[in-house]
Amino acid sequence: MRTEEAGAGRTARPPTGRRSGGLRERLELGTARIPFRVKLGLVWIGIFVVLGILFALARFDTPWLRQHYWFIFRGLPWTVAISVMAIALASILALLGALGRISKNSIAVGLTGFYTSFFRGTPLIVQMFLIYLALPQVGIALGGPWARTLTLDPLRAGVIALGLNYGAYMTEIFRAGIQSVGHGQSEAAESLGMTYRQKMRRIVLPQAVRVIIPPTGNEFIAMMKDSALVSFLGTVVAQMEIFRRAQLLGRRDFRPLEALLAAAVMYWVLTTVFQYFQGRLERRLSRGYVREVAGKPEVPPH
Amino acid sequence: MDAQPQLDGPVVVKVEGLHKSFGQLEVLRGIDMEVRNGEVVVIFGRSGSGKSTLLRCINFLEEPTSGSIEVDGIRPAGGHRTRAVREQIRQLRMRCAMVFQEFNLFPHMTALGNVIEGPVTVKGMPRETAIPLGEHVLEMVGLADKRDEYPIRLSGGQKQRVAIARALAMEPKVILFDEPTSALDPELIGEVLAVMRSLATELHMTMIVVTHEMGFAREVAHRVAFFHEGRILEEGPAREILAAPASPETKRFLDAVL
Amino acid sequence: MTRRSAPFLALLAAFALVAAACGGEEEEGPGAEGICATVDTEAGDLLARICEQGVLRVSTDPAYPPQSFLNEETGEYEGFDIDVATEIANRLGVRVEWEAPAWDTIVAGNWAGRWDVSVGSMTITPERAQVLYFTTPYYYTPAAIAVHRDNTTIAGPADLTGKRIGVCGACTYDFYLQGTLEIAQDPTGTPVLIESEIADPDIRTYDTDTTAITDLALGDGTRLDAVISALPTLQEAIDTGQPIKIVGEPLYYEPLSIAVDRASQLDATSLVEVLDDLVEQMHEDGTLTAYSMEWYGVDLTTLE
Repeated sequence: MRTEEAGAGRTARPPTGRRSGGLRERLELGTARIPFRVKLGLVWIGIFVVLGILFALARFDTPWLRQHYWFIFRGLPWTVAISVMAIALASILALLGALGRISKNSIAVGLTGFYTSFFRGTPLIVQMFLIYLALPQVGIALGGPWARTLTLDPLRAGVIALGLNYGAYMTEIFRAGIQSVGHGQSEAAESLGMTYRQKMRRIVLPQAVRVIIPPTGNEFIAMMKDSALVSFLGTVVAQMEIFRRAQLLGRRDFRPLEALLAAAVMYWVLTTVFQYFQGRLERRLSRGYVREVAGKPEVPPH
Repeated sequence: MDAQPQLDGPVVVKVEGLHKSFGQLEVLRGIDMEVRNGEVVVIFGRSGSGKSTLLRCINFLEEPTSGSIEVDGIRPAGGHRTRAVREQIRQLRMRCAMVFQEFNLFPHMTALGNVIEGPVTVKGMPRETAIPLGEHVLEMVGLADKRDEYPIRLSGGQKQRVAIARALAMEPKVILFDEPTSALDPELIGEVLAVMRSLATELHMTMIVVTHEMGFAREVAHRVAFFHEGRILEEGPAREILAAPASPETKRFLDAVL
Repeated sequence: MTRRSAPFLALLAAFALVAAACGGEEEEGPGAEGICATVDTEAGDLLARICEQGVLRVSTDPAYPPQSFLNEETGEYEGFDIDVATEIANRLGVRVEWEAPAWDTIVAGNWAGRWDVSVGSMTITPERAQVLYFTTPYYYTPAAIAVHRDNTTIAGPADLTGKRIGVCGACTYDFYLQGTLEIAQDPTGTPVLIESEIADPDIRTYDTDTTAITDLALGDGTRLDAVISALPTLQEAIDTGQPIKIVGEPLYYEPLSIAVDRASQLDATSLVEVLDDLVEQMHEDGTLTAYSMEWYGVDLTTLE
């Protein structure tokens, strides 16, 4: 057993720890020079290689996929359309909800409290079916034009349900964003003589938007995936989004793995692309808030 | 420069029997004060003595517990703010601008944008008129060349001067200054005080200033008021009080500060 | 608006706006030929409305070959039920619009006027007859047992005691296993309880038969030991290469009919009569037999 010679001017041998030190140590030292990014890329490639082998072993029907993936892909505009419409509705509801939560008016606080509690406390799929199935019964009971108005087709029912559901969650985001604007801003605006609406529109909301956008972007990404639930209401052919198409083809041809995997990949690509653009938007929004050092804005790493 | 003797113009700000409590804590215990047109009144005293609260009650950023506030003839009723009362307060605020210790500039607007925001949004002034006005007041505070800069690019002293320009752009009857230099580095205080002085000497602007800058008080103020534990302990012509304070508390405070 | 009323008024307004912007489309149909030419469009009942608008709205489950499935190239539905429904619409003199809601939404009634008829190989049962009108059956399918191709132990219902059996939920196969299935051979006949020949089954329900078949195909006993479904459906699965086989004799025959919502706001009795007549016509002139041969390879439209 070697001992370290103190004061002898020789570098002590680093402790090897337990017995396994040998191979792992050598591996770490040997690869230390390779940049992290390269190693990361190799890990990803490795994952895909393993997956590829697994699928080959599962007798993945690639010809079927090649034949039908384009049909599934054509659902993408509808996935995006549903998500965009729903997030727009959700944002409006979230803004109203947030203003209601911080209001001094008891009706506003009560209504928005009920709204957020109910739509965060019940499953989205239940909400979708409620709006699709239960609302028409209410409409028929009310009689007159209500029967037709409240009998929504699957797409509208789905979008409204998504909007209501996400609006409830985003109420918190909007509220936090509004309250993140310093109290002094509000006071300065009021001291100038601004009304509540002027203050919100000109001073508070424009600043709140910067705080609200990143988490809203995340909600949108989640929304794009939840848009798949709309298919359970039974959308018509012309409006079928990615999942519905995958579901129908997969069931028809008994190829659920291939169909659903194709759908999964499409969602994955969609969300990744969106995250890229959201990052760019975030950087652009922080102009004016982040001190520019030598022309380059400093952005905290995500 | 000699402070002018007592002015007898019209009363711009009248505070009568003002009490303000935050829950159990009584911060203002009966304040009576009158400020006439063109007067510069400096309010000084220890932190927590109620000085800022008085200013914030004058423009109703705080709701008085009892007593009355009148600015330029507008006297909003106390208690619950009905729509009518809210409008009165708004009118009052349009005549009574405030400059804050923390500047509170709007970061998403340029200096010029900050300055013309009041006239355009609150007074409905068209931009074509507001922009020259804005440029003019920025000139007055010596920042004409910074009109297109965002607040983040400005120093503390520059930001405060823009805040003053923002107040001026509203053409107020009185400007309230809530410790305007307390948040500034020492070397930047001078430029802000210089602007405030020129407001007094050149524009004869009515000003109520809460500050520790006793030098400014001695040279620019007409009257000073010493706040102690929620009351005005001493009040009178600036030079007199500062040279020879009557009450021991005032003396103790001045000794510590000057 | 003051700050007080603004938030919740706008909330209500937003909801009302969205709801109001929705609502069914009213379209003028082509000039009525066929049966609609003889229908009084002022009568104010469901048949009149269909003829007046020139549209028959039909519900279908497009994940159910060969009854109904999606042709992705054309974006159209195809299948036995599709052809039957289309032919009915032609004979009425109107065009078809398809809806594809979930199956249990269809069998529950209360369609809220979203579609007019269901042509979906629906079996007549007493419970369903309480919420739906049924026409004369347009065909009959045997209910059959399928097991995985590799299975050697199951030859009939007696061998399924205690086994895991996949069925589509709220289908007759589900009720059969539960011992509650009552079938009348036509809408006017007395329902007869079909005794289940399978003792103590472990029932696994799915939202559609094809998913159950997919699970069975995973392997003998992997997820399921057997599936009970319509014989044509099972046969279609076998034909497309699923590793299953049919065992034993058919458990029962289901009469399958067209259904109409009893809770329809507009009176549906005249429509049901017309549909009844059409189905009989199509039996007599061989249309149904022709479709059956085309899609099933056998004539399922009679019980012989």
